[in-house]
Amino acid sequence: MAISAATKAATDALAVNRAPTSVNAQEVHRWLQSFTWDFDKNRTKYPTKYKMANDTKEQFKLIAKEYARMESVKDERQFGSLQDVLTRVDAANKVHPKWNETMKVISNFLEVGEYNAIAATGMLWDSASAPEQKNGYLAQTLDEIRHTNQCGYVNYYFTKHGQDAAGHNDARRTRTIGPLWKGMKRVFSDGFISGDAVECSINLQLVGEACFTNPLIVAVTEWAAANGDEITPTVFLSIETDELRHMANGYQTIVSIANDEAASKYLNTDLNNAFWTQQKYFTPVLGMAFEYGSHFKVEPWVKTWNRWVYEDWGGIWIGRLGKYGVESPKSLRDAKKDAYWAHHDLFLLAYALWPTGFFRLTLPTTEEMDWFEENYPGWYEHYGVILEEWKARGCEDPNSGFIPLMWFIENNHPIYIDRVSQVPFCPSICKGASTLRVHEYNGKKNTFSDDWGERMWLTEPERYECQNMFEQYAGRELSEVIAELHGVRSDGKTLIAQPHTDKDKTLWTLDDIKALNCVFSDPVDAL
Amino acid sequence: MAIQIEVGQRGLTDPDLQQVIADAVPDKPMETNRKMNYFVKPRGRRLSEYEILCCYTQPTPDWIPGGLDWGDWTQKFHGGRPSWGNETTEMKTTDWHRHRDPAKRWHAIYVKDKAEEWRYTQRFMKQYSGDGQIRTMDPVWRDEVLNDYLGAFCFSEYGLFNSHSSASRDCLGDTLRMSIAMIGFDKVDNAQMIQLERTFLAKLVPGFPESTDEPKKEWTQGAIYKGARETVEDIWQATYDWNEILWSGHMVYDAIFGQFVRREFFLRLSSYYSDNLTPFFINQMQLYHSQTKGITSDMFFYCLADDPEFGDYNRRLMRMWTDKWLPRTVNALKDFMGIFTKIPEIDHVTTQDAIEKALTRVFDDWAEDYAAKIDYKADTAAMVKTVLSGLK
Repeated sequence: MAISAATKAATDALAVNRAPTSVNAQEVHRWLQSFTWDFDKNRTKYPTKYKMANDTKEQFKLIAKEYARMESVKDERQFGSLQDVLTRVDAANKVHPKWNETMKVISNFLEVGEYNAIAATGMLWDSASAPEQKNGYLAQTLDEIRHTNQCGYVNYYFTKHGQDAAGHNDARRTRTIGPLWKGMKRVFSDGFISGDAVECSINLQLVGEACFTNPLIVAVTEWAAANGDEITPTVFLSIETDELRHMANGYQTIVSIANDEAASKYLNTDLNNAFWTQQKYFTPVLGMAFEYGSHFKVEPWVKTWNRWVYEDWGGIWIGRLGKYGVESPKSLRDAKKDAYWAHHDLFLLAYALWPTGFFRLTLPTTEEMDWFEENYPGWYEHYGVILEEWKARGCEDPNSGFIPLMWFIENNHPIYIDRVSQVPFCPSICKGASTLRVHEYNGKKNTFSDDWGERMWLTEPERYECQNMFEQYAGRELSEVIAELHGVRSDGKTLIAQPHTDKDKTLWTLDDIKALNCVFSDPVDAL
Repeated sequence: MAIQIEVGQRGLTDPDLQQVIADAVPDKPMETNRKMNYFVKPRGRRLSEYEILCCYTQPTPDWIPGGLDWGDWTQKFHGGRPSWGNETTEMKTTDWHRHRDPAKRWHAIYVKDKAEEWRYTQRFMKQYSGDGQIRTMDPVWRDEVLNDYLGAFCFSEYGLFNSHSSASRDCLGDTLRMSIAMIGFDKVDNAQMIQLERTFLAKLVPGFPESTDEPKKEWTQGAIYKGARETVEDIWQATYDWNEILWSGHMVYDAIFGQFVRREFFLRLSSYYSDNLTPFFINQMQLYHSQTKGITSDMFFYCLADDPEFGDYNRRLMRMWTDKWLPRTVNALKDFMGIFTKIPEIDHVTTQDAIEKALTRVFDDWAEDYAAKIDYKADTAAMVKTVLSGLK
């Protein structure tokens, strides 16, 4: 077969070219944008009211193999630390018991967020039309698998080496029992994957990751280290190195829709809803985990929140997006109020319902009570007094026949679940801003605790219809529910959850709970 | 001592803090069961690290088979469509959590393997170029076949890669989701390796066009990849059932068309044209193909075709999907036969007798490894004959 003059010339020239050379990732990546082609059926399976631009770029410019190299290097460092030095110094048994319990929740719940983000970024990879933008989301899809495995590894490590494996060893099964689970699913599961693809990106990347991963993944490492836990910082800081790329993906989502007319109509509403959705859960839950789930204190949650959420995110990060018409959410001001009292309110409810947990909760010690009062003036008069009363009635002792849930019933303080956020609230006892609103829909009463969630419900109630734990368990006796959902240790009778972490105190059993004859009812029935 | 720590104080290393912690830690472990995920049924004799880290991360309720949660989704799509639902696939199972990657790859294992492949690839390219091996490559094979037709195959791999996006969103199990994302990632890696080879050739061969323009024109307008392109477009964007996407892409199209193009065309023929470069990359793709085959065989055959309750139904559905996608794949290969007019002929290598043997290998492999597993009656001789009718 004849060859062209150009081919012959090129072949002849090879005789003098033997310099060793290679191809780097950037030299491949620069062609990525041309990998797609136009065809009639090319459209996403996850429609969005926004139009994502066809020429959107990504910031990190990775190819598959370079991504793997980069992550593998980080893994070597992380697993080297965990499996070598931290194991040799018996690090898992040098963690304060209160914090050991907190990590049962934080690590598993973050795992749920990371896991759902695999699906969320799969959806965004499908929705974006620009190959570079797809590539950015794709790298995040792989990252989220990494983070899911890493979070699991924390529970795995504590299970294998730690002081109390119960809860760490079966969190993926027992997490569904208690009052914190459904709210966590709202923010970390369904909020990332169910809806308009851009709305989901805003939830995941612009709010979840750009706003709350700083307090969740960075601040938590400070609290962990203070309480003797070097396992969590080793893993979580490695996770955080990927989060920067995810925040950049969120930024690029906004860039990709900036010139679309729909952005000026809907973007700030979607952002406001996403922010309120995320903060409604994270603000109280993280505050509670840090302050009530630790012995040594780093700083008051309200300060951490103000620095990371209000100033860094609401001011600087959103400020950078101002040129694309993005404004700080209108609900930021109300959220700031929540950052002061909401986590104390939630602790009362979580402690009242402690038997439904997969972790041990602890009442504050005297010196911790002083710390709370010093940092939250007015704390003792409201919360301290109640907690002291519970302690005096023997709430930690199985022989007392008392769990604080009884106190709520005796004092006519009904606990409701906010239908949109799935966060429990008690309007008659809370010091935060929650107030009760009720709307009937499809023959069912639905309760709400704030304006923003109520507005989401009134706009699209069909999106938020979901049973809460009181509806699910109504009429059933507490120990029966715990047994059915596997909330007991390997002896088959001692609860995983306990109302204390004191090594010298007695542990509660299923029989102790059964003796209370505590039957669930749905407080909404009385409305 | 004070519970408010000062900046830099760490509980593990500060003696005062550690003393307080040590006093609070139980004298002996409170729980004797130190096996995480002890409630998971292991695939092998004991629970693997892969199963510990991956199984039941999916938080589905019990009305999706295998789920451990209760109740409904807390937020749904606009209009009320559920976050995840049984209606996203026609396949049925008693447990969406049953799948396992036979290679037990969780993320760290997966990226470790690929990182090693990348490092070796870079070392290989330096050796190959320093050795001057490019000098002996057949120039027509190099400038026409590798540039245009290997370049165009990049789009087949890229399109298949994109078909995994909705499947990784919609599938109903955790090990499934991770496997789908990884085998999709391997497909974009294949596409990138093809462009990497072309970029490498552009560095070595003066005037070799690095641009994707010509390959894209071949893919979108040429006759050789016409059937392939139309099939890939439909797998990627016209198919909604996530199991059908995976079945059509991996169990039919790529198992036949992809295998012929990679193994029986580029890999088999390259040495005849003194091309020692392309096999390096194609063999990586073949490694990914074999790993993917392990994964998808587990998904479809072990989990779905052998499901104790829905196995027969699932096999029927797989046969129906095969009826839909097999003729299109055969047609894609028939179009691809046109490529043999583009290469310098070598007797018994690129002539019909050799092509027929190559096709027979591919179809027989497919019949044994895929069709037989679902009792699909495949007339491989007829399919080979149909494909050969595309030879010019």
